[in-house]
Amino acid sequence: MADALFLAISVLTIGSAIAALEMRSLVYGSIALMGTLGGVAGFYVMLDSPFVAMFQLAVYVGSIAVLILFTVMLVKRELIFKKIEDPKRKFAGIGLMLIVILALGAVIMDSGIKTISTDSEPVDFREIGGDFLTYYWPALILMALILAGSVMGALVLARREDTIENEQ
Amino acid sequence: MSVIAPKFRLGYFLKGIFDNAFWILTIVTLAGIPAIQIVLFYLELPVIDGELLTAFLAFTWLFNPTMQVPLIKALIYSDLFRIVAFPGFGFAALIAAGTIFVERKMLAKLQLRVGPFYCGKVEGILQLAGDGLKLISKEIIIPAKADKPLFWAAPVLFVGTAAAFVALIPVAPGGWVVADLDVGLLAVFAVIGFFPIITILSAWSANSKFPFIGGIRALHQMVSFEIPLILSLLGVVILTGTLNLSEIVESQSSFPWIIFMPIGAIVFFTTMLAELERIPFDLPEAESEIVAGWLTEFSGMMYGLVQLGSYLKLYAFAALFVIIFLGGWTGPVFWPPLETEIITEGIPIPNYAGDPILTVNAPGLPLLDQDPNEWVLQQQGELQYTSGQLLVSGVIWFVLKTVGVIFFILLPRGVFPRIRLDMLLHIGWYKLIGLSFVNIFIALGLVYAGVIGPGGIL
Repeated sequence: MADALFLAISVLTIGSAIAALEMRSLVYGSIALMGTLGGVAGFYVMLDSPFVAMFQLAVYVGSIAVLILFTVMLVKRELIFKKIEDPKRKFAGIGLMLIVILALGAVIMDSGIKTISTDSEPVDFREIGGDFLTYYWPALILMALILAGSVMGALVLARREDTIENEQ
Repeated sequence: MSVIAPKFRLGYFLKGIFDNAFWILTIVTLAGIPAIQIVLFYLELPVIDGELLTAFLAFTWLFNPTMQVPLIKALIYSDLFRIVAFPGFGFAALIAAGTIFVERKMLAKLQLRVGPFYCGKVEGILQLAGDGLKLISKEIIIPAKADKPLFWAAPVLFVGTAAAFVALIPVAPGGWVVADLDVGLLAVFAVIGFFPIITILSAWSANSKFPFIGGIRALHQMVSFEIPLILSLLGVVILTGTLNLSEIVESQSSFPWIIFMPIGAIVFFTTMLAELERIPFDLPEAESEIVAGWLTEFSGMMYGLVQLGSYLKLYAFAALFVIIFLGGWTGPVFWPPLETEIITEGIPIPNYAGDPILTVNAPGLPLLDQDPNEWVLQQQGELQYTSGQLLVSGVIWFVLKTVGVIFFILLPRGVFPRIRLDMLLHIGWYKLIGLSFVNIFIALGLVYAGVIGPGGIL
């Protein structure tokens, strides 16, 4: 059962990733990207971490995919994208992907993880939250500062001088 | 007045019926029965009481009066019943249908109109059935330059997502919920995140100006109001320390959270109106500006499906408000226990004079109690309430509270005008997010002051 599910999710994830790259229509490409992100959420569920899976769905499928769709629909794509049909680039990309996969596989095989125990308890998300607030609090503060800085930078960049102030 | 079928003849009608019957019999004999036998060959049949449950035995039990109550009970406690009927789709669709009718009638009363009146003699009670028949029998028109796969998929996906939202809502104590997740509230947020995608895809796929404008408006509105929606519920999560919706309800057995978090409740209610595209936030469907917004190109049952989905969503949001702020199914248990004689001896059946002449013994009779021994424990004083009592009382309290919240969702439609898009975004990004942070700080203050929460006074 678990193997069939794993296989199905893998086919969904990788197939829709390939589709996201190869589709002619940008909207269908972004729908396929949603399929990939949802498949990753399925992997998280299979790995007994529904907390991360739900955040994957809420953040990546719910927000980032919407942002991509929004951009695709509002932008005239002829102005930005030029079609470059070069088979060499494609083969180079496939070769690069194979090298990366082989390297990662070699690292994992070398690391001594040969067997996986499937009946271990799922990690409680309360423990994760407690760890974040006690042991890893400097990292949490640092991340919050970085996010706040990037939001402020975006606001400064998006600010326009000629906006009419509050005409309610 | 036009005639419904001008060339109607009884002979043609009978011929049609006989033709259909002939073909159905032929196809069932040639294909259906072999298919059933093939499926039965591969099924692993269960063994009950040392007997293999074959199809013959199942039919025997189905028509045996002493086995019928246990059979119905087994059906009620099966997963299929939960998904299709009671806490799942059927229950929610029933409430959604009632909501549509009450909305039309109540709005008419508020505006000194009559509302649906002729259909079904008494106050237009059959108007909803008539509308449903009309929608089903109408032609589905698809715009010539529409993106057909997406256009077809959008209503179905909308109803499916709304049903997934409904599936997360617990209705009664004892696990009456389709999917009892440990991270239920996060799952709710994840499901809510799917609605803007479906809206914008359907709006884009219609390839028409009005739907696209409506879809962009819906996207602005939903994405910007999701943030205060999530933040306004975090206060309750901080106080209860759990994300499971059933546990959130059980934490409110003595008082509902709206007493301590009125600001969070107000923010959640406002964002709920915006997520549901109700007046005063119905810019995506503004009928006086952009025809019907992102629903413009839908026709026939596709429109009906989108409406069903949006009313299912309304029920689910109202139920979520009840679960998180109003205490869900908590309330006094008022359902009386079953009389002892009915269970031990049977149901007495009197004659015309009122003297009992025979008793009918029906095994497994407390139909809603999961375990028939519960009433014995209750008689001995070891159990306060049986699960059947809790179920009935809980469902009644839950439905009463949910209907109240739905009433308050419907009410602004008769009262308020529609607001502008920039005012809407201003409310969402400046005021509601600020208020929801105030709510979170109230919750943190209550926890650190030692009033509520782990080790608190209350």
